Amino acid sequence: MIDNGLLVQMLLGALLGLSVYLPLAAGQLSLATPAFYAVGGTLAALLSTRWSALGATADGGFPVPSLLLEMALGGLLAGLLALLVGRLVLRLQGIYLAISTIALVEIVRVAILNLPFTGGAVGIFAIPQPFATAAGYLLPALALLALAGWLCQRLELMPLGRAMAAIRNDELAARCMGIDTTRVKLIAFVLSAVLAGSTGALAAHFLNTWNARQGSFDASITTLAFVILGGSRTWLGPVVGGLLLTALPELLRPVGDARLVLFGLVILLGPVLAPQGLITPALLERLGGWGLRSAAGRDAEGAQP
Amino acid sequence: MIEALLQTLLNGAASGGVYALVALGYTLVFSVLGVINFAQGALFSVGGYLTFLLMGGRIGVNGALPGWGLPGGLPFWLALLLAAAGSGLVGLLVERVAFAPLRRRNAEPLLALITSLGAGVVLVNLLQLLMGAEGYAFPHDTNALGGLPDALVIAGARIRTIQLLLLLISAAAVVALSLWLERSKGGRALRAVAEDATTAQLLGIHSEAMVRLAFVLSAALAGLGGGLIGVSVSLPGPYFGIGYGLKGLAVLVLGGLGSVPGAIAGGLLMGLAEALVPSEASGWRDALAFAILFAVLLLRPRGLLGRRTVEKV
Repeated sequence: MIDNGLLVQMLLGALLGLSVYLPLAAGQLSLATPAFYAVGGTLAALLSTRWSALGATADGGFPVPSLLLEMALGGLLAGLLALLVGRLVLRLQGIYLAISTIALVEIVRVAILNLPFTGGAVGIFAIPQPFATAAGYLLPALALLALAGWLCQRLELMPLGRAMAAIRNDELAARCMGIDTTRVKLIAFVLSAVLAGSTGALAAHFLNTWNARQGSFDASITTLAFVILGGSRTWLGPVVGGLLLTALPELLRPVGDARLVLFGLVILLGPVLAPQGLITPALLERLGGWGLRSAAGRDAEGAQP
Repeated sequence: MIEALLQTLLNGAASGGVYALVALGYTLVFSVLGVINFAQGALFSVGGYLTFLLMGGRIGVNGALPGWGLPGGLPFWLALLLAAAGSGLVGLLVERVAFAPLRRRNAEPLLALITSLGAGVVLVNLLQLLMGAEGYAFPHDTNALGGLPDALVIAGARIRTIQLLLLLISAAAVVALSLWLERSKGGRALRAVAEDATTAQLLGIHSEAMVRLAFVLSAALAGLGGGLIGVSVSLPGPYFGIGYGLKGLAVLVLGGLGSVPGAIAGGLLMGLAEALVPSEASGWRDALAFAILFAVLLLRPRGLLGRRTVEKV
């Protein structure tokens, strides 16, 4: 039921979940992940189909090092965009920030739809393939996920990660303690964008075609659902949420047309049944000894009177 | 030339009126609960489809019951009214399922964002199951406008009657709601709950009932908008409300969260700005609302007419 293609999609979902998680770990509700994902994917689609120096062959093949280069460039471009936009939007708080990031997603979507070189509604197709089968994509997707997960895990022990957790708990207090909150929030936002941009570059090759629909408001919500349903207190939550919720619509395929109704019901009832998400610090504590105990979780418990 | 300009301005004001309806819907819920009901776009779709069915439209070949339709066809205005009421009931259901359980637990407001979106996904896909993904045009031939001509000539300019009706009906709804909020006992109670739910409760106002009322009214406004757009343009598919829901969100922030005059002014401004986009650049029109929103958020983070709030420590 779960083939290699679906596995790759699940890994991509987990990566996008982490991208939403990073700003949220600093208390910032950003829904901009699909915009950065779309930017990275569009860059990769353009480079690999237009720039012959990357080595796309006539039969649709593509060298793996070029793919890695594109993932780096996609992350870089998305990161630069985030640096630019972040300086402006991160002054906003709460729901204002969320809505302005939705605005960014819509602007990027309409731009990709209308720019003269991105292929309009059809998009860019016949993107060359670095791997002959879907299984080939498992390795780079897993590697990127491992890298991102390792970074998130490290972050919990680093001053930056601790500052992010402090801002999440109380931004005003964090600022009073001498934390440069603007800078910390911006770093989290840029990291999130880099991850989404690289993921987009990989996804463009995997999906073979790329168009404006890849980064839409729907995706903002689905990726946020990965984090909320998976659990937003530890980095494992978004990963589990991304894996499960990406697989769910496919696993529900036998249900037929009603599957999206059921998917909606899961998003609707999930937060009611499990307000903390599936993976909570307490759960990890109980599983204990795996080296997965989260610093954020200990902090949260330590903060209880 | 004049005719074209007049038509453009009217189009702009008409769609601006619908944006204002959607934004007012958000405003009602936001001012009472401080959360955004992301199912608003889906409720807009629900209103459009309800109006279609009430006016005697039949389900297409891809629907669950191909060829089925309600017996008879109601006149335009009655169908619109009933569809708004029906959407209001669906809105009440959304409140019961997506908001009430979280409220009882004092859960993070962020969660309501997800649950209301989930409710939206369910609604849109139920519509798709029932009606199919195809577009629907309203039965215009049945003299749906109640004997009114298709177009009027005003000051030498030919104007589609439906556009004029669109503007008048949304204006009437907005005025009626503002007056009700300002003058009536119920409106005052609602505003009291918005100001401070605990105090309102102590004063003998049933806060929970007011919250429910806000959801019903909010959803009815969205449904009314959906019906109006459906009749004047068409129903391109169950997802068509989502776009209006997003534009309404932009209008909401443009005017200032929780401000009724702000939502109205923001809606008109947005509609007119969009109508003035030249047709060569029409592909970019959908981004305009968000570009304006972006600019406003950066210059005036509280929105055009929003109140400044000070965080107390």
